[in-house]
Amino acid sequence: MKKRMRTWASVFALTFALTSITACSGGGSAEEGTGGTTGGSGQTAEAKDTITALLPPVSAGFQDNFAQMEKDFNALYPNLTLKIEPASWEDMTQKLDTQVNAGSPPDIAFIPSGSIAKYVEQGMVMSIDDIATQEMKDDFDEAPLEYMKQGESLYGFPGYMEVHGIGGNKEFLEEAGIDYKKVQQEGWTYDEFREAIKKGVVKEGDTTSRYGFVFATSGVTSRDYLTILVKNAGMPSPFTTDHKFAYTSSNFLEVLKAIRQMIDDGSMPKELSSVDAGKRWNMFLTGQTMITGKGLATFENSAKKNNEKLEANDGSAVQGSIPVEYIVLPVPTFAGEKQQASVAVDGYVTFRGKKEPTEEHKENVVKAAYFLSSGKVAATTNNDLFAAHITDSGREAAKEMTIDRNPDNVEAVETLLKQASPARPDIPTELGAKAIKLEDEVIIPKLQALIAGEITPEEMYEEVKSAAVQTFGEDGVVTE
Amino acid sequence: MALYNTHTGKPVVNRTRNAIIMVVLILFALATLFPIYFMLISSFGDPVEAGAMSYSLFPSKISFESYKFFFNYSDHSIRWLLNSLIVAASVMISNVFFASLAGYAFSKIRFKGRAVLFSVLLVSMMIPYQVTQVPLYILIVNTFEIQNTYTAMIVPGLVTVYNIFLAKQFMGSIPNEILECAKIEGCNQFQIYFKIILPLSKTVLAVMAILTFMESWNTFFWPFLVTNTMDMQTIQVGLKNFRFANTTYFAPMMAGATISALPMFILFFSLQKYFLEGVTVGAVKG
Amino acid sequence: MAQIAKQTKRRRIKGDSGYGYAFIAVALVVFAMFTAYPVVSAFIISFQQYKPLGSEYVGLENYIASFNDKLFWKSVYNTIIYTILTVPVALFLSFAVAILIIPLRKKLQNIFKAVYYLPAVASGVALSVVWLWIYDPMASGILNRMLSVFGMSNTNWLGSSSTAMFSLVLMAWLSSHGTSIIIYLAALLGIDESYYEAAELDGASFIKKVWYIVIPCLKPTTLFLLVTGVIGSFQVFQNAYLMTGGGPDNATTMVGLLIFNNAFKYFEFGEAAAQSLVLAFIIALISFIQFKYLGKEVEY
Repeated sequence: MKKRMRTWASVFALTFALTSITACSGGGSAEEGTGGTTGGSGQTAEAKDTITALLPPVSAGFQDNFAQMEKDFNALYPNLTLKIEPASWEDMTQKLDTQVNAGSPPDIAFIPSGSIAKYVEQGMVMSIDDIATQEMKDDFDEAPLEYMKQGESLYGFPGYMEVHGIGGNKEFLEEAGIDYKKVQQEGWTYDEFREAIKKGVVKEGDTTSRYGFVFATSGVTSRDYLTILVKNAGMPSPFTTDHKFAYTSSNFLEVLKAIRQMIDDGSMPKELSSVDAGKRWNMFLTGQTMITGKGLATFENSAKKNNEKLEANDGSAVQGSIPVEYIVLPVPTFAGEKQQASVAVDGYVTFRGKKEPTEEHKENVVKAAYFLSSGKVAATTNNDLFAAHITDSGREAAKEMTIDRNPDNVEAVETLLKQASPARPDIPTELGAKAIKLEDEVIIPKLQALIAGEITPEEMYEEVKSAAVQTFGEDGVVTE
Repeated sequence: MALYNTHTGKPVVNRTRNAIIMVVLILFALATLFPIYFMLISSFGDPVEAGAMSYSLFPSKISFESYKFFFNYSDHSIRWLLNSLIVAASVMISNVFFASLAGYAFSKIRFKGRAVLFSVLLVSMMIPYQVTQVPLYILIVNTFEIQNTYTAMIVPGLVTVYNIFLAKQFMGSIPNEILECAKIEGCNQFQIYFKIILPLSKTVLAVMAILTFMESWNTFFWPFLVTNTMDMQTIQVGLKNFRFANTTYFAPMMAGATISALPMFILFFSLQKYFLEGVTVGAVKG
Repeated sequence: MAQIAKQTKRRRIKGDSGYGYAFIAVALVVFAMFTAYPVVSAFIISFQQYKPLGSEYVGLENYIASFNDKLFWKSVYNTIIYTILTVPVALFLSFAVAILIIPLRKKLQNIFKAVYYLPAVASGVALSVVWLWIYDPMASGILNRMLSVFGMSNTNWLGSSSTAMFSLVLMAWLSSHGTSIIIYLAALLGIDESYYEAAELDGASFIKKVWYIVIPCLKPTTLFLLVTGVIGSFQVFQNAYLMTGGGPDNATTMVGLLIFNNAFKYFEFGEAAAQSLVLAFIIALISFIQFKYLGKEVEY
C-alpha cells in the first residue's frame, strides 16, 4: 500500500514537472493522462489474520466499546486482528453497497436480516453453514437464527430480535378504562382498539389536546406502519406459503380502511402523514397522545430518563413534558386473524470479496462474527437496548448485569417474541426483490396519499392490485 | 458607486433610497437567516434526544453542554476538524491554481480541440455522481489501494470542471488588447498569466477559493466512503455519528454544525477585502 | 503596418497552442482519471446487468426498461418543474440582492454579504432538520403558527402532495442563493467604472444603466450560474431524500432520487447508469440551448 502511494506521488510529481517544462519552453504539448485505468486487477489484499467489520451504532454505548472489543478478540485469538469500521445507520448501507458493488466489502457488516437477499442476489455474501460449528449454532435461539438464512444457507449470526409494537402511557390508559395488563396477555381486536383510542382523545374546545394514537408515518416510516398492521391481518409476509403475493387479499383492504377510519374518527391527527419519529415521541412525552408507535422496548428507558430529569427540575427535561410510564402493547388484530408480532432481526452478516476467500479466512470470519453476536458483547448491547437475549451465552453473561425494567413489560415482550412472525428464507431472492420495488414505488407512495386523505382505501387497493398483477401475473397474486 | 446616480446636493433622496434598500435587504436577510438562527439557538440547548427537542423560538436557557458533549463525544473531534482543514485547504489551493490556469487557456488561448474539449468537460458535469462513484471507488480503493489516506480524499477534487468553467467565464471579459500589448512587449503566456491575469482575477480567485473550500469542507459522502478509521474521518463524517437508530442528539449536532461552519466563516472574512475592491481593468490599461 | 501587426498576432496565437495544452494538462489528467474514466465505466455498465463477480451484456434492455417506466417519466417531470420554479427565481433574487448591496457603505456591505452567504456555509443535513421543524404539520409548527396570525388554517406542508413540492421550492428559494450572490457581486465589481461614467455623461438613469451595462456585462456570469444551477437542480437529491423521501404519492420523487434508489436500494446498477445518461442527455440539451442564446462572448 505504501509503495503504491509512492508510485502515485511520483506520477504526479512528473506531471507537474512536465507541465512546468512545457510551460516555459512554450512548445510541445503535455502528455495526456492515460487515466491509470489499466493498473491493478482490483483485488483487496487481505492479511490472513485480519477481519474487518462495518458496524453502526447498534446501541448508544456500542461504538464506544470498539477498542475494547478489538482487544478482547485479540486476547481470545492472539493470531487474529479484528478491525472495526464505524458508520452511522443512515449511511452505512450506502457505504456497504458501494463496497459490495466494487467487489471489496468488509468481512462482516451489521445489517437488517431483510437485506440479506439482495446481497445473495449479487453473490457477495458468504455462506457459513459448514464453517460455523454446531456448538455455535446451538447457542442461538432458533427463531432469530432462521432470519439469517436465505434458501438453505446461513449467512451470519443474529444480534437481536426486537418486537416492533406500540406503547402506551400508563396513566392515560387507566384513565380511559383500558385494562392494559389483560391486553398485554391476550391482545385485542381492531374494534376494541378503535374504541379504546377514541376514549383516549381529549378535546379542549375545538382543538384536540390529546390524541388516542399517533404513529410516525412520515417518509419511509410509513412502511413500518403498514408492515406492523398487516402482520396481524393474516399476512405475516408479502408472500403466502405457495409464493403468491398476499397484499391483494381482501384483508389488506380491511387494514387500509382501518387506517383511514382511525384518522376520520379523530383518534389520530389528520396531519399524521408528516409526523416523524422524533415528533411522535415528543407528543408522547408531552402527553399529546395516549398510545404511540412504532414502539420498542427501549422506550421504557427513554421515558424513565426523562422522568428523572423532571424530578431533578433543572430545565433539562423535554419542554412541556409530563412524567410517563411506558407500557408495551400488542398491535390489534384484524378480521379475526391471529396475533403475529412484527419483529426486526438484525445481525452480523458475513461477506466475501471478488476472490474466493480461503478456508482459513472463512473460519476466522466466523469466529469474529460469533464473538460479536454472543457472550459478553451481545449481553451488553442487548441490555443497552432493553432487547431480549437470544443466545444462551448472552443470557449467562447478562446474569451479573442489573437492569431496571417494568416486569409487566418484560413479560409482554416475552409473549410477543413467542408469537413472532416466522422467518421466510424460502422466498426466492428475485421474487423478494420485486416485492420490495413494488412496495417502494407503488404501495408506500399510495399509502402516504391515503394517510394524507388524498385517495380512498378502495382506490389504493385497486392501484396496488393492478400493479401487483402487472408484476407477478394473474396467477402470482392472492385473489380473495 | 457609479452604478447608482449620486444625486449630488440632494442628500434626502440618497438617504431615502438607501433606507428603502436597507429595508428590503433586511427583510430578505431575516427570511434567509431564520433557519440558521434556529440552528444556533438549538445548539445552546441540552444534549437531549430528538423527540425531546422543544420547538420554542427563544431558548429557555443557554448552555454550552452540547459543545462540551461534541468535544467529549469522541476523542477524535479535534482531529476531524484538522483532517477537514488539510483536505479542504489542499483542494482549494490546487483548484485556484490549476483551474484558473485551465480556465485562462480555455478562454484566451487558441488551440486545436479547445471547444470540443471544453464541451466534453461540461457534459461530464451532467452525469450524477451516484453512478460514477462505484467506478471511482474501484479505482481509488481496488486499483490504487490508497483508502484511508488524505491522498484518496484529495485527488478526485484536485481540479473541478465547475471551477474551470467559472474561471473561463470571468477571464473571458478581460480585454484582449491588454494581452496583446503584453505579448508585443515580449511576455510569453506563462508570464502573462502570472503578471496580468492573476492580478486581474483576484476577485474571482477569491470567490473560487471560498466556494471550493466550502464545497470540500461540506463534502460528506466521498470521505465517508474512503475512510475506515475514526482518526481519518473528516468533520462531516464524524458529525453524522451523532445520528443514532431511533434518536438523534439534535443539540450537539447543531453545535457540531455551528463549529464546522466557523472555519469557513473565518476564511470568508479574511478574503473579504478581495471582494470589496473591484479590480479595475482600466487601471492596468492605463 | 496593420497588415504586419495582424500577421504577428496570428503567428503568436498559433505559437501559443503549446501553452494552451500545457495550461490544461493537469486539469485534463485529473479529469481523465477521476471523471472521464468513471463516466466511461458508467456508460459501459448501462448496457450490462451489473454484478461485481462478472456482468452480463444485455444490450439496450436497461434503456428500454427506463423508457417504459412511468415513474421515471414522472420523476423527470417533477425535476423539470422543480428546476423551472427554483433556478430562475434564485437567479433573479441573487442578482437583485447583489445590485442592492452595492450602494451601501462598506461595513454594511460586509455584513449583508456575510448574512446571505451563511446558509451556504451551514451543513445541508443540519439545515434540513431545521426545515423539518419549520414545516411541522401541527398547529404548533413554526410556519403554521406564523400563518395562523393571518388567519390561515393548518397546512400539512410536507405530508400532502399538493404542497410538498412547493415546500421544497420555498426551501430552495431561501437557502440556495449564497453562492450566486457572491459570484454576482464579484462580477459586478469587475465592471469597469468607465462604462458608468460614459453613461452618466449621457444622463442615463439607474434602470438604463442596469439594462444596458450591467446585464450585458454580467451575461457570462449569468450563463455560468444558469448552466450550473440547472445541472445542480436536475441532480437534486438530498433535500427530497431528507425531507420527503420522494413522497407523498411520488409527488417529490426526483430523477436523482430514483437513480439513487436504483443503484443502491435495488442494486439495478445498469438501469441507474442508463437513467443517468438519459438525464445527462436532457441536461446537455438544455445547456446547449442556454449557450446558444446567452453564450455569445461579450465584446469589449
